[in-house]
Amino acid sequence: MALSIDELKAAILKKAETAPKPQLYIKDFYTCDPDSKPRVIKNAANDLVKEGKMMFWSSGSTTMYAMKNRIKDEEGAGGVN
Amino acid sequence: MAKHETPLLDELEKGPWPSFVTDIKRQAEKNPDCWDILGQVELSYKEKITHWKHGGIVGVFGYGGGIVGRYSDLPKRFPGVEHFHTVRLAQPASKYYSTKHLRDVCDLWEKYGSGMTNMHGSTGDMVMLGCRTEALEPFFYELTHNLQQDLGGSGSNLRTPANCLGQSRCEWACYDTEECCHHLTMHYQDEIHRPAFPYKFKFKFSGCANDCVAAIARSDVAVIGTWRDNIRIDQAAVKEYIAGNIPSNGGAHAGRDWGKFDIQKEVIALCPTDCMWMEGGELKIDDAECTRCMHCLNVMPRALRPGLDQGASICVGAKAPILDGAQFATLIVPFMKVSADNEFEELIEFIEKIWDWWMEDGKNRERVGETMQRVGLPTFIKVMGLEPIPQHVKEPRSNPYVFWQEEEVEGGWDRDVEEFRARHAA
Repeated sequence: MALSIDELKAAILKKAETAPKPQLYIKDFYTCDPDSKPRVIKNAANDLVKEGKMMFWSSGSTTMYAMKNRIKDEEGAGGVN
Repeated sequence: MAKHETPLLDELEKGPWPSFVTDIKRQAEKNPDCWDILGQVELSYKEKITHWKHGGIVGVFGYGGGIVGRYSDLPKRFPGVEHFHTVRLAQPASKYYSTKHLRDVCDLWEKYGSGMTNMHGSTGDMVMLGCRTEALEPFFYELTHNLQQDLGGSGSNLRTPANCLGQSRCEWACYDTEECCHHLTMHYQDEIHRPAFPYKFKFKFSGCANDCVAAIARSDVAVIGTWRDNIRIDQAAVKEYIAGNIPSNGGAHAGRDWGKFDIQKEVIALCPTDCMWMEGGELKIDDAECTRCMHCLNVMPRALRPGLDQGASICVGAKAPILDGAQFATLIVPFMKVSADNEFEELIEFIEKIWDWWMEDGKNRERVGETMQRVGLPTFIKVMGLEPIPQHVKEPRSNPYVFWQEEEVEGGWDRDVEEFRARHAA
């Protein structure tokens, strides 16, 4: 049986906090609930961004999800010169 | 006054062609930050390495697309391009703009960004080049509230749908490409603005097989107008073309004397399926053999017109060459009615069936055409709930293997083989 939306969001947040890599593809969250349809998981992940609990990280061609405190912010990273 | 010496870039101004270097220098007179673009690119040419850092967390609130983060890795040396984000603006259907709107967009971009634009990106977006992070939200607010324009798609989103001029300008358009593009753009706002997929996904809409938006080469779902009844022939106009009274190709090649129009050489002999001939002074077409390639209609537009039972062919899976080389889209549905009367219901159902499968089975950063290639066309057709048809066969008889399903075999997998062999020797 599929998780409720709140349970699913909690599972997504847990995965985003504990996964070895900080930036995750949407497919990486599919394992949070194998019984939920991919579009339900996508909507839950996007809701978490709207709620300010996660961030989008975009390379331009691909978009990933991340906890803000786990990703390197290019603006804070400074330059080499 | 130049801020940086740019001898390598200056070479690019010497040819007879337009130069981006000249354009940026011109813009730098208005916005001195633009000198730092030239300085950084000059350094990259010298060192043969890019100094752009790619990607990041930039965006506007609630959107997961439309803005592509760019940073310089030499911000102290080139402060004008410390942040240099790209903003994509969704174009209206067919890119009809008023000059006032274009001026307003340019004014807004000079207020918040570098003033440099790229008209246009390959999905049709206006591409605004170079903006600092703190300018994004105020730019977006004015863009949406004052100019009523939205951001386009980027990242793993549905990219901004694009279409040809369609029935607004073209008599060959077999469906209303503008209405279709606009309807699907509005229907899929969430997919355009927030990432939904393993990788990018593009729709493009062409009104006929001339395919003016190159949908078959550039989009994951190409909706290409066609017809399924007969080409309409005006035999009197055919005679006029033969007599040389109407210029072929609408006069498009009139700049040079190509000699007298020869219908045999220029139309009939170039038909890819040999389905045309002259008989008793009339042009005949075996429409059952016609592939609707548009060649004869292009040459004699006043004599030949598309049939009246119009719709679209749906091709799936084109992509650029990141993995495995570029590929054209594969024909999946030869004919589908595409109509605003039922809000493009059949097309939407088709698209969502692809998405449901691809979101589950597609690998990260795998275009749907690559997923199709990986699983094979027979599997894809089965997933889509379609019956195989001759148009799906790319190379007949080149592959002897047929994979039967149990339900297709009399007696299933448990049948008595010896009894079968008694009747059919191996």
